[in-house]
Amino acid sequence: MDLPQPDLAKPRDAGPPPDEASSPRADLHDALGWMVLGLAIVIASWKMSRLEDQHINPLTIPGLVPGLLGAGMIIIGAILGLRSWERHRRESAHTAPTTDDTARLRRKRVLLTIILCCGYSIVLIGHGLPFWLASSIYVTGSILALDRLHLAPDLHPFSLRSLSHALLVGVGSSIVVWLVFERLFLVRLP
Amino acid sequence: MLNGLQDLGAAYLSFMEPMTLLYGLGGAFVGLIMGILPGLSATLAIALLTTVTINLQGNEAILVLICSYVGALYGGSRTAILLNIPGTAANAASCADGFALAQQGQAGRAIGIATSGAVTSTLFGVIFLATLTPLLSDIALQFGAFEFFWLALFGVTLSGSIVGGDPLKGWMMGLLGLFLAQVGEESLYAYDRFTFGWEELAGGIALIPALVGAFGLAEVLMALSDPVERKIHDLTDSVLPRWRDLFQYRWTVMRSGLIGVFTGLLPGVGEDAGSWVSYAAAKAVSKEKEKFGKGSIDGLMAAETGDMSSVPGHLIPVLSLGVPGSAPSAVLMAAMIIHGVQPGPMLMIEHPDFIYHVVAMTTLASIAILLFGLFGVRPMLQVLKVPRNILMPIVFLLCVVGSFAVASRLFDVYVMVAIGVGAYFLRRRGYEMAPLVLGLVLGPLLDKSLRRGLVLSDGSLIPFFTRPIALVLATITIFTFLLYVPAVRAAIGRLAALAGRNLHRLLGKGGA
Repeated sequence: MDLPQPDLAKPRDAGPPPDEASSPRADLHDALGWMVLGLAIVIASWKMSRLEDQHINPLTIPGLVPGLLGAGMIIIGAILGLRSWERHRRESAHTAPTTDDTARLRRKRVLLTIILCCGYSIVLIGHGLPFWLASSIYVTGSILALDRLHLAPDLHPFSLRSLSHALLVGVGSSIVVWLVFERLFLVRLP
Repeated sequence: MLNGLQDLGAAYLSFMEPMTLLYGLGGAFVGLIMGILPGLSATLAIALLTTVTINLQGNEAILVLICSYVGALYGGSRTAILLNIPGTAANAASCADGFALAQQGQAGRAIGIATSGAVTSTLFGVIFLATLTPLLSDIALQFGAFEFFWLALFGVTLSGSIVGGDPLKGWMMGLLGLFLAQVGEESLYAYDRFTFGWEELAGGIALIPALVGAFGLAEVLMALSDPVERKIHDLTDSVLPRWRDLFQYRWTVMRSGLIGVFTGLLPGVGEDAGSWVSYAAAKAVSKEKEKFGKGSIDGLMAAETGDMSSVPGHLIPVLSLGVPGSAPSAVLMAAMIIHGVQPGPMLMIEHPDFIYHVVAMTTLASIAILLFGLFGVRPMLQVLKVPRNILMPIVFLLCVVGSFAVASRLFDVYVMVAIGVGAYFLRRRGYEMAPLVLGLVLGPLLDKSLRRGLVLSDGSLIPFFTRPIALVLATITIFTFLLYVPAVRAAIGRLAALAGRNLHRLLGKGGA
């Protein structure tokens, strides 16, 4: 089956290009994942209570729509899988995943950002630490840590100056957010 | 008619308070800054401001949000012109000619064109907002479960087809959004679906934290993953609006304004469609086709007017049908519900004055962007000089506050983080988030309408295809899917070619 894929010429996006998007192998993995998810939804919907004790109309059972959506996921996942399989066969040259310094650095930066964001939102806030303090620690730590992961780390050496700059930005921004949200607009903060 | 004008006049007068005007300017300012920053979208601006304005009066809060919506789309053109990166998705069509003008040392002129085009086309769209919304509301009163089912499915399908380059991935995101909307207590029998015993999930996945994750955290990760900082073009010439250019290209403005409004009416299409279609139409009729992509004023004007007039266009289905046309209008609709206004066919009956208030708010938003366009371009561009390593952690801080503040639950922060990380990896693999958002918003409507429809028809599917409006919506939805099948596409191509040849022959004979 030859399924076309429109290729719209677009200007560059804010972030890095979606490099995995064009890989048929990645699409094939995605397709399998979607089909498994769809199947799980169909099974869960099938097993969902049909509220027979409430004598409801059988056409209005709670699992009807989720079940149909799960089936839709299986069908579209299968088409995606077939398309990527077809493309994979056609592409003779295997494209190896990018392993240059920039790509490696990009992966490190993503991992670090996820760790910092999870650390802040799961560990630091909501457990007794004042909001402004938790936020100051997060912003300051993020600036310092991300500056280290740079293509030219020598341009951002760790120094007392960089530390005080990060601290100033971290504390300043946290206090401004706290003042604007909690004091000015009376919004509750975590 | 007279009542409508009276209501409109009263609506304008109700906003003539210094504090209210200040709120509007503040909303436009925040929207502009968010729009200028690459990747931070109108959706995120509205979602974050929804939490800030949660304790304001309904009309003031919605004014702030509409001003930020208009401001963000307008601000996005700056980044398109100076960096060749669209500030928001809607500004993508402005990149080619805007950036080319900047390279020719005319960045200020390009920004001036964007300002004049944006203000005029928003005001142009406002006229349609005021006139079409009551008309569409009257038609929407005839909608029942069958029509709403197709409308919800049509919105998600169309969004999946148009947003991004791969309809399959778009539809998958739409399905995922529709599924996520099924989590929690369902509306007919209050039965908990997919909650796994978690009390927090009983209320479902809240829209604001989900959007903040999908458009905020995912964007923070996108921006921070790139180790290279980008430099902006210098502004050497005047950035004041170019009214002479506006007059010279008045037909482009009118045409693009109309295209923007009418693409805005389609559920799920998004602001970028208005921009791209206007750009293509301008190129098709232009006498200077060769200049497009190389610094064409006509092209830039078309792109900017097309996306800005789609804002009032998107508000029309939100108000009259309760069906959003794009991700930002979906958040705006959620904010209206938070402030006690339920958009949809009953709005004209329950709150007839609200539609005119929205008209007045959109007018004020266009005046606000004109003021910023006249006096605030250069200072606001300074924000582009702040390194991402500093800016993005602060943006995430706002994401945490924004997702927490609506219901004061830490659980919503965890939802935001989970959805944000998931959205990042999905986006890297070419999956767009707009269909997911529409699925999340339209999921409850689809569920309720399908099951109610089946009860009304006693299990028969026939009324889903025989009622006139349902039939039209069903045909378009099924056709959208079928367009993806190569054999159908080829058949349509052959039919179109045949029709073209016959028409040509007919006209040829007529001419002879």
